[in-house]
Amino acid sequence: MPSPRSHLALVLASPLMLLLAWDGATRFSLVEQILLPAPATIGAALWDVLTRGYAGVSVFVHIGTSLWRVLTAFLLAAFVGVSLGLLRGLYPRIDAVCLVPFELIRPIPPLAFIPLFILWFGIGEVSKVLIIFYYAMLVVMLNTQAGVASCPEDKIRAARSLGASPWQVFWRVVFPASLPHVVVGLRVALAAALSILVASELLGGDRGLGFVISDASTFFKTADVFVGIVLIGLIGLIADRALTFTARRIVHWEGKT
Amino acid sequence: MSGHERRAHGHAEQGRIDAEGVFIRLGQGAEAFEAVQDVSFTVPAGEFVCVLGPSGCGKSTLLGALAGHIAPAHGALTLDGAAISGPHPDRGIVFQHHTLFPWKNVRDNIAFGPKMRGIPKAERHRQADEILELIGLGGFAGRYPKQLSGGMQQRVEIARVLVNHPRLLLMDEPFGALDALTRMMMQELLLDIWTRLRTTIVFITHDIDEALFLADRVLVMSPRPGRIVEDITVPFERPRRAEIVAEPPFGRLKRHCLDLLRPRPGTDTLPRLSPLGAPPHAR
Ligand SMILES: Nc1ncnc2c1ncn2[C@@H]1O[C@H](COP(=O)(O)OP(=O)(O)OP(=O)(O)O)[C@@H](O)[C@H]1O
Ligand SMILES: [Mg+2]
Repeated sequence: MPSPRSHLALVLASPLMLLLAWDGATRFSLVEQILLPAPATIGAALWDVLTRGYAGVSVFVHIGTSLWRVLTAFLLAAFVGVSLGLLRGLYPRIDAVCLVPFELIRPIPPLAFIPLFILWFGIGEVSKVLIIFYYAMLVVMLNTQAGVASCPEDKIRAARSLGASPWQVFWRVVFPASLPHVVVGLRVALAAALSILVASELLGGDRGLGFVISDASTFFKTADVFVGIVLIGLIGLIADRALTFTARRIVHWEGKT
Repeated sequence: MSGHERRAHGHAEQGRIDAEGVFIRLGQGAEAFEAVQDVSFTVPAGEFVCVLGPSGCGKSTLLGALAGHIAPAHGALTLDGAAISGPHPDRGIVFQHHTLFPWKNVRDNIAFGPKMRGIPKAERHRQADEILELIGLGGFAGRYPKQLSGGMQQRVEIARVLVNHPRLLLMDEPFGALDALTRMMMQELLLDIWTRLRTTIVFITHDIDEALFLADRVLVMSPRPGRIVEDITVPFERPRRAEIVAEPPFGRLKRHCLDLLRPRPGTDTLPRLSPLGAPPHAR
């Protein structure tokens, strides 16, 4: 194990080296600018897009549209997924009813459904939100159900013998015990939601970061493609950090030694 | 919710168990079997009883019935004359592995029972702190379960049950996962608490030494299906010192228990394998 200081140095050195190599490759024309623009070109394009927008629309409208789609779908998915997961975990009959339908659609990659959803719900908001919702919901539901199952039988019995009613056992014991799994589900679902978002925006519409990427590539504005990618990456990073930060407060007992 | 009448500590009129021809069935359909067969016994209020028996003989099942988690198929099981139907804080249970809530600190874990009864926060915290002193964990109220050693976790587990002033304390190999030294300390602590509170205790164990050191009486069970094969009165006077374990009368009683537990030829139970080939209870 390297010392903390040299560890940090290594962590920071590797991206710097990559950047330098990238810059060198473009500077000495090892690659064509249209395939891989220089870092400085991308920086300038980013500044241009931030100040003057893209395709006549402010970049914050593109960002806002994407965020709205992903947040609506994610929040709906969290609510429905947690509820369904709890019900399936608590009631074997409900689980039996849900089992086959959900197991049938689960292995299908959500991207395969995008054309179908566009056919059914058009190219507007509904199909984009629904496709994200459907997949994120599956992930949250399955993790929540696993969380319920993770509560040991003895813990439930102990709580009953301490005087908890069945409702109190659920609300005070089983539900909190399932939270660490729920949080894992939410994180996975969020990452998936962002990637499905971009894919669904690539396929149609004139707003959103996915649209920026696909439109820019159509017109060989490669630097703008990178701008879209960078912005989506930043949003993903910030969203995951925010979720982890909140989750640590809620499941504060996890990892405590 | 029935009877929340509280009793003063040290009041030994309550806690009498009567079991009369109890049969307990487990499993579903074709796999159903009798885990406990025709068990009858009486425990006077305030007595310390150990149940000793080979693995899988139905000890936990019997304890589950006393706790009200499993209903007997036949027979009567009563506490102070009232049939046991469903779990109740009057009958507290402690398992081999702690069942503390990792999201609550020690004080709030212990205050769980009072909280379920709707006792206000200040009062239930006062009750929790009082019990914490009793079990010698006064300074640990703000710790979380994961920050405690195994022995401390079991002490908190016991405290969480005692705060409800149970008439009956059910313990399923509560010290089985602890190291030998901690286990001895816990045994002495339990006897100390019991001397002060005088609740009835039914304590399950594999360990003959533990049973003979703790109990007024030892009920020995046969391999599956579980029946009570002997009801041994433990004559050693109290307070007991840890050294009695090494004295001849203790050894004689221990050998007797060993004979009862050793699988006989012709029974269909498989002896557990141990690395030295010794019978599992001869440690
Ligand atoms: N829910 C259940 N369904 C079917 N069989 C069960 C169930 N619970 C326990 N058993 C079986 O019933 C028998 C008695 O189980 P029990 O847990 O009461 O034994 P035990 O004496 O406590 O054993 P140990 O000393 O290993 O804890 C065992 O053979 C066990 O495999
Ligand atoms: Mg057992």
